This record gives sequence, C-alpha cells and structure tokens, in this order.
Amino acid sequence: MNTVPFSLRRALLIAQNTLLEAARQKLLLFFLLLALGLVVGARWLRDFSFGAPELKFLADCGFGAMAFFGAALAIAATAQLFFSEIENRTALTLLAKPVWRAEFILGKFLGVVAVAAFFCALLTLLLMAVLRWREGELMREFPEAFAQGGVVSYGMVALGGLLQWLKLAVLVALSLLVASFAQTQLFTIVTGFFVFVICHLQYLAQDAYTRAGSWFAQNVGGGLASVFPNFQLFALADSLNAADAPPTAHVVRVALYAAGYCAVACALAVYCFRKREI
Amino acid sequence: MSANVSSKLSAAVPAVEIRGLVKDFSSGLRGLKLRAVDHLTLRVEAGQVYGLLGPNGSGKSTTIKALLGLLEPTAGECAIFGVPSGRVEARREVGYLPESPYFYRHLSGRELVRFYARMCGMGGATLESRIDEVLALVGLTAAADRRVGTYSKGMLQRIGLAQALVHDPRLLILDEPTAGVDPLGTAAITELILQLKARGKTVLITSHLLGQIEDVCDRVAILDRGKLILEGAVSDLVGRADRQALVVEALPENELAELRAWLAARGRKLETVETPRTRLDRIFLERVGKKDA
Repeated sequence: MNTVPFSLRRALLIAQNTLLEAARQKLLLFFLLLALGLVVGARWLRDFSFGAPELKFLADCGFGAMAFFGAALAIAATAQLFFSEIENRTALTLLAKPVWRAEFILGKFLGVVAVAAFFCALLTLLLMAVLRWREGELMREFPEAFAQGGVVSYGMVALGGLLQWLKLAVLVALSLLVASFAQTQLFTIVTGFFVFVICHLQYLAQDAYTRAGSWFAQNVGGGLASVFPNFQLFALADSLNAADAPPTAHVVRVALYAAGYCAVACALAVYCFRKREI
Repeated sequence: MSANVSSKLSAAVPAVEIRGLVKDFSSGLRGLKLRAVDHLTLRVEAGQVYGLLGPNGSGKSTTIKALLGLLEPTAGECAIFGVPSGRVEARREVGYLPESPYFYRHLSGRELVRFYARMCGMGGATLESRIDEVLALVGLTAAADRRVGTYSKGMLQRIGLAQALVHDPRLLILDEPTAGVDPLGTAAITELILQLKARGKTVLITSHLLGQIEDVCDRVAILDRGKLILEGAVSDLVGRADRQALVVEALPENELAELRAWLAARGRKLETVETPRTRLDRIFLERVGKKDA
C-alpha cells in the first residue's frame, strides 16, 4: 500500500485558496478601509494627542489601528474562513480527497496569516507615507527643531509593523485552536476576543499573582503566563528614534516566542480537529 | 509477482467493503443515542454500478461519510480497495460528489476543478488538458470561466462531477446525484454513469429516486432506518422468471379470443392485456432534447 505523506504543497494550496477567498470577500476590505481611514485621519485628530509629539501621536494611531482592526480581522477572518468550510460543506469535498486534516489546519492558518501580512504591510507602508509627509511639512515649518535631520526612523516603523504581524499570527493560531473544537462561529469570535484581551493583560495578572506570595497564587500565575502569550512583548518602545531600537537578539527572541506559540496552538488544533465529524 | 497474478489479486479485492458498520449520534443534553446506521455489511465488487437506496434519513449519506473517513464509526469497519477508510491512502482512488454540493463560490468552474486536481497531486503539462476534458465531459466548457456562485443547481451538480472525475479515480461515489436536477440533466448523468461503467470504473450511487437507479445499477441495497433490508442484483430483484410479456400490434377482439383459446389448449393463461405506455421523462427528453439540439 503506497502511503500519502504529509504535503506542504497541499497545505499551501489550501492557504492560497483561503487567501483568495478572503480577498474576494468584503470582510478584509471593510477592516482595511477602517484602519486606513484612521491612519490617514490621524493628522486631523491632533487635539487628542494630550501633549505627545505630533509624529509620535501619528505613529501611535497607526500602530493602534493595526493592533485593533488587525485583531478584529484576524479573529473574524479565522472564524469565518474556517466555519464557511464546515457550514457550506466545502470541507466535505476537500477532506474526501487524499488530504490530511493537519494539511487543512495548516493551510487555513497560513492563509489567514497571509491576509494579516497583507493588512500589516499595507498599513505600515501607509503609516510611513503619512509620517514622511508630515515630517517634511514640520521640517519646512520648524527647520531649527530638525537641525540634526529627521527624527523618524522608518526602520523602526517597519519593525513595528513586523511585530504587529507576529502578534496577529499568534492570535490567528489561538483563534484556529478555538475554531477546531467550537460548534459555532460566534463562540469562536467571542472567545477569540477574550483571548486577545487576556493576552494583552497577561503580564498584569502574572505580576499580581507573583506578588501575592502564596505558592498556589504563584503557580496559577506561572500557569497563566505559560498558557497565554504576553502580547506586550510585541510592542515597540515609546520612541521612533533609531537609537531606541531593540537589539536584534530581542527581536529574534520575540519571533521565536511567536513561532513557538503558533506551532503549539496549530498542533493542538490538529489534535482537536482530527476526529471532528464533518 | 507477475503482472497477471498482480491484476488477479487486485481484482479480488472489493472496491468497497463495509463490515458491521454502526453509527450512533448523540442528541440532546442527556446524550440520547440516535442510531443512523445499524450493523450494515456490504461488498461492492470492482467494476459494478451499485445503488444504495432508501428513504430520507435511512443512513445512506452517513454510510458514505463513514466510508470516506469523514465520520468515525461507532463500531465496524470500512475499506476502499482493501485500505481502511480512516487512512488518507484510502481516498486516493475515490471521486466523491456530495449531496447538494456547495463549492467555493469565489472560484470559477475551471479554477475549482484545477484546485481539486492539484489537491489530488495532479500537475504538469497534462493538467490543463485534463481539466478541459472533464469540463467538456460534463458539458460545462462554455461556463468554465464563470464564478461557481452564479451556477444553477444542475450546473453545480455537473461541476461536482467534474471535480470528482478529474483525477480519473477507480471508484466514484455519488450521493444523490440527480436530486433537484431536471430530466435533461438526469439523463446526462445517467449516460455518464453508463460511460464510466463501460470504462471499468466502480460507481456507488445513493438515491431515494428508485426508478432512476434501476436503469443503471447492477446491484442495489435498500436501507431503512439504518438497517439493510434487501440486497441483490437488480435483474434478480425486479425480474420475474416465470412470466413473459409479448408486445404485438393491436389485435381485434375476435383474434384476441382466438389467442386466449390457443393458450388455454396448451394449459396457459393470458393474464393481462394492456396498451404499452411510454414514460413522461422519455417524451420530455425527445421533445426538449431535440429542441436543444
């Protein structure tokens, strides 16, 4: 009996189809337009800067849009693109082919991660363009304040976009894990948002528990810290200056941290999905 | 092992073998068991057209899903060409058309068939010609570049057949292939099944439209509430070896009386005299088919 080995090619075909499906739907366009609107419109929201330097405020708006709408896109797209296969019964035809369920899960993951990459890349490029344009205006208006040259490091902005994408990849993997055992799309979306919030507040919980001092509280804190990734690790320092750039080793560690969580969440999703009745 | 011995051995392996299949579904909070398939045993030999018949809810689709490894059996075993259904390898030689098929609406018919062909490992120079070939076979060449979302029910059924056939599988599983399809489409599907049979393919069809199945199947199994209630060759089940029908030109009453007397002299009896009828679907096909041609 000839075996059918796991095929990365088939997983990539499923990913390609998932990306195409997302691109031809209105969901991606909707979140993209909202985020683009916020990035471009940040120029006229300076009244809410609360004294922060204008360029820093623009960058915060851009990364905020990427984080918030990116998270909404990652969770909603994962749930929608996964459950559309189940509810429309396209998974029935697909999994009746010589396809491993692991290939299906990996394909879905890579497809939505590609959607997130497109989203982050576009927003990062737009944010760079907005910063460049405003920085140019400010340099003409206040040449003395820019005597040393530009203050924005565009490498830092690109790095910020990359870190946001890594964070979204982890969120996609966690949402896919929920979808692999959830019965409804709504449950996946709601749970995905809870996970997103927990991951953002994970460091606070860990801190509070470890300060509690008791063995039980410390272990619960440690457990939570292991189960939920710390999304604060994916944030840049409060500066756009190249001098404040994180060391390369730190960026590599964060990338490995994200890859580790993605691998574990996808493996668990495959485990949950392997016996699921289609 | 010589090619001759090898081909004899592979011919001995049934295309489909189901032994003691049981499938229970839990329902409600108390987890009450609903038995969809109840100790079903079937064997489909290679090269046969086999009908799995029964009313709605009789367990036909559940059996097919268990056979394809899409559902975990509660008990029993299924195998395709001797390979257990739970294994990915079992699905390599299978083309499957699900009941009321839904496909990726964002793809065109050609893109859809290409996607499934590549999922089955096809590629290279022959891929595009094979896609053209199956699209022509199911009569969708003209609509190949339209989005699947714009297809009618009959066209969906045909593109479903194209994706099932594209990798030239040895076994074709068709779940209610003619449900909701008009008589022209049904005739085309019937014709296609007969062509596949002539090419030595095994076809497993489920349907609740018994008349349509009767025309194409070699053997049938009838399920009711998950249980096998009848199985056998169609000719054995519907034919009556102790009766014959003779079709003659219309006889006047006196000649009919002579015929009765002639038979009576030989200890025979003329049981019924009736006017042969054609079928509505044949009239429809003759009229509409001619107009379309």
